[in-house]
Amino acid sequence: MNATVVRLTYRALLGGRRAWLLLLMSVLLLAMAVLLRVTVGVDHQVTADFLGAVAVAALVPLFGLIVGTGVIGPEIDDGSIVYLLSKPISRPRIILSKFAVAAVGTVLFAAVPTFVAGLVMSGTAGRIALGFGAAALVASVAYSAIFLLLSVVTRHAVVYGLAYALIWEGLLGSFVPGARTLSVQQWSLSLTEAISTRDLVSSDVRLAVAGVLLAVVIVGATWYAGQRLRVLSLAGEE
Amino acid sequence: MTDSPAGVIHDIGYRKYDGPRLGRGRVTRALYAHSLRGAYGLGRSARAKVLPMLLLGVMCIPAFVIAVIANVASGVTTELVLPYSRYVVVTQGILTIFVAAQAPASLSRDLRFKTVPLYFSRPLERSDYVLAKFGALTTALFLLIAAPLLIMYIGALLAELPAGRETGDLLLALLGAVIFSAVFAGVGLVIASLTARRGFGVAAIITVFALSFAAVSALQGIIRYEVDDPTLAGWLGLLSPITLADGFQTWVLDASSSAVAPPPGATGGVVFVLVTFAVIGACWALLNLRYRKVAVS
Amino acid sequence: MPVIQTEELTKRFPSTTALDQLTIEVEPGVVGLVGANGAGKSTLIKILLGLSSATSGRASVFGLDVTAEGPRIRERVGYMPEHDCLPADVSATEFVVHMARMSGLPADAARERTADTLRHVGLYEERYRPIGGYSTGMKQRVKLAQALVHDPEIVMLDEPTNGLDPVGRDEMLALIRRIWSEFGITVLVTSHLLGELERISDHVVVIDGGRLLRSSSTSEFTRTSQTLAVEVSAEADAVGEALAAAGLTVKREGRLLVLPLDDDEVYDLVRDAVAAQGVGLIRLEQGRHHISEIFGEDQGGAAR
Repeated sequence: MNATVVRLTYRALLGGRRAWLLLLMSVLLLAMAVLLRVTVGVDHQVTADFLGAVAVAALVPLFGLIVGTGVIGPEIDDGSIVYLLSKPISRPRIILSKFAVAAVGTVLFAAVPTFVAGLVMSGTAGRIALGFGAAALVASVAYSAIFLLLSVVTRHAVVYGLAYALIWEGLLGSFVPGARTLSVQQWSLSLTEAISTRDLVSSDVRLAVAGVLLAVVIVGATWYAGQRLRVLSLAGEE
Repeated sequence: MTDSPAGVIHDIGYRKYDGPRLGRGRVTRALYAHSLRGAYGLGRSARAKVLPMLLLGVMCIPAFVIAVIANVASGVTTELVLPYSRYVVVTQGILTIFVAAQAPASLSRDLRFKTVPLYFSRPLERSDYVLAKFGALTTALFLLIAAPLLIMYIGALLAELPAGRETGDLLLALLGAVIFSAVFAGVGLVIASLTARRGFGVAAIITVFALSFAAVSALQGIIRYEVDDPTLAGWLGLLSPITLADGFQTWVLDASSSAVAPPPGATGGVVFVLVTFAVIGACWALLNLRYRKVAVS
Repeated sequence: MPVIQTEELTKRFPSTTALDQLTIEVEPGVVGLVGANGAGKSTLIKILLGLSSATSGRASVFGLDVTAEGPRIRERVGYMPEHDCLPADVSATEFVVHMARMSGLPADAARERTADTLRHVGLYEERYRPIGGYSTGMKQRVKLAQALVHDPEIVMLDEPTNGLDPVGRDEMLALIRRIWSEFGITVLVTSHLLGELERISDHVVVIDGGRLLRSSSTSEFTRTSQTLAVEVSAEADAVGEALAAAGLTVKREGRLLVLPLDDDEVYDLVRDAVAAQGVGLIRLEQGRHHISEIFGEDQGGAAR
């Protein structure tokens, strides 16, 4: 990892409208958690439903998308990546540095608020907050890796990433049982199932399998992104 | 190119243009047509066509299925499996992707390459530009919604369902489609106009639409069923473009609601209508404001 | 009848004053607007086009007020901005046709005139390729084409030679001159390179810091001054003394001896002095003024 690349990346990420959008969404999540706590009281099923549907299924993938594409996408788009590529830093190292920023960023903006929302709604009972926080954590890291790879491979990473997040994980996941075994959401929810003591969340994937798949995806995507960056060509538009 | 065929240029010479010069109205229409075609990738590279056409296809597939079912099972069913007006809410993901991809494609290009001053140094006013772009994307979305509805309608007619009823339902649904299109297009364009980076525009639009819908639905579900407060749940529908337009449709066109909780009562309905128009108007105003600043770069 | 007229035109920004009480009149022809970077040239054009609004003062194009009759002015004006403004993924033809239609040309006329205009600016087979792959020279030509395609009565070119190599610059300048001399379209062209405007303009307006320094015809600026510059191979001092002894006021400017040219006798005196010294005569040149002298003369920036 290279400290300068890390520094430049996180400053670019936090320096603009992207950061405001992310902050706004995190704040809204917390606001909703508070609203629910006030209107519903403490109801663990509600907590699980809410965090499952809003945080893990929507917020985390979207944040992973915004941050994962945001750490390298704009640079490739306007061509300024050449400055980085012409420095004596190995391409995998560049990717690793950017991945670090993306993972930490997504965790901070998505996973931590999820955990806090869980605390707000259910306190520490049943380790629900912890369970969902952990799920959001691994999902954040996984999505960061996936979307970072997509950004290196195609200039339309955002659209393809959205298609993946919405169609694969969302639509298909509900209709096609097999698809669920290959869903980052399900892998992370298996973690929740394992951690929380209440029987509120069930995942279609066993913890061991999920763990392995997560590790494979995270490491594999990051490694492959490094390889693809080696052969990156800056073509014209579209 | 100092050996450029000066002889050729002298031979033909420069011709003055004495033909008609169309006014603002026609020019705006030309920009509208250009943007509408661009929304479906026509007139651009082949790659630009892939996504919109794919989305159009995916949008129509369920409609085909429904039409086929209506014909095959015409002995058993007396109506379409899915009402016309609910189709748009069920397929909202596709609409969202379309807006997210095409709103930035429409605006961000001109912003990024700073082509905007070239437009405004012509007899085109800022409001004309906004009107053309807003109108074009609204129309594009309307076509996206109307196509599958027409397919279902034809299927219904072929299955000899009551023509009068089906036509009535279709027309109401098309009216609702106009509102959906305008709201989606407006919100999408406002977000897109804030950034010259197309990728970020796409992500921001999706986030606003998808997240707001996921959040509002979840909250509505919880509040309606677990707290048993359908009124509050209904009001929450104002907070996401999808549920807002659906609420409008439910109340004004007496459509069947697809949201978790419909607008609460008559007051709710009226408020939904007012807010819908206010949102469309606000988007219009914001876009005009945005382009007032942009041209002076 | 003046094509452009401004009266006490002022544009203030929070941090600077871009234009300060500018009052000029521009007649048909090629008008060069000269000034250093940031002198206010682009701001003036933007105000004339209605892209920006003045803080105070008035401006009119074709006798029409820019604030009241903007759209009517813009129907007859072409604009070539200084900055990059071309989308990278369309071809020159597509882009210029689109711009022609945005200027109010019907579709067929737009296509026809695009083909003509692109030929006039010197773009041939390249016009079908995406603009993203063009060289700077080609891009400048496309920018110029979109300004000309709708047959305007006046075109405003903001730094059209930016980024061009010397050959490209010469070609662009020749093209600009042709726009007036052959096409009959008045041209307002800005530059911070004084030399090139001398070559092609009929009239030059010099502004500095938003203020008018001078506005007059090019011939006035560069009229031959009544001086003679003499350069000899050696012994310049001795030649100078000889000429002074003959009654001429001699000034030394480096290696040159500058003499006032009152009548033809001076030439004979020079010949004699040089022959008497037995040196070689390298150069005998009538002096000419340059636009750059304006900036030297009026360092105080007083408007004239």
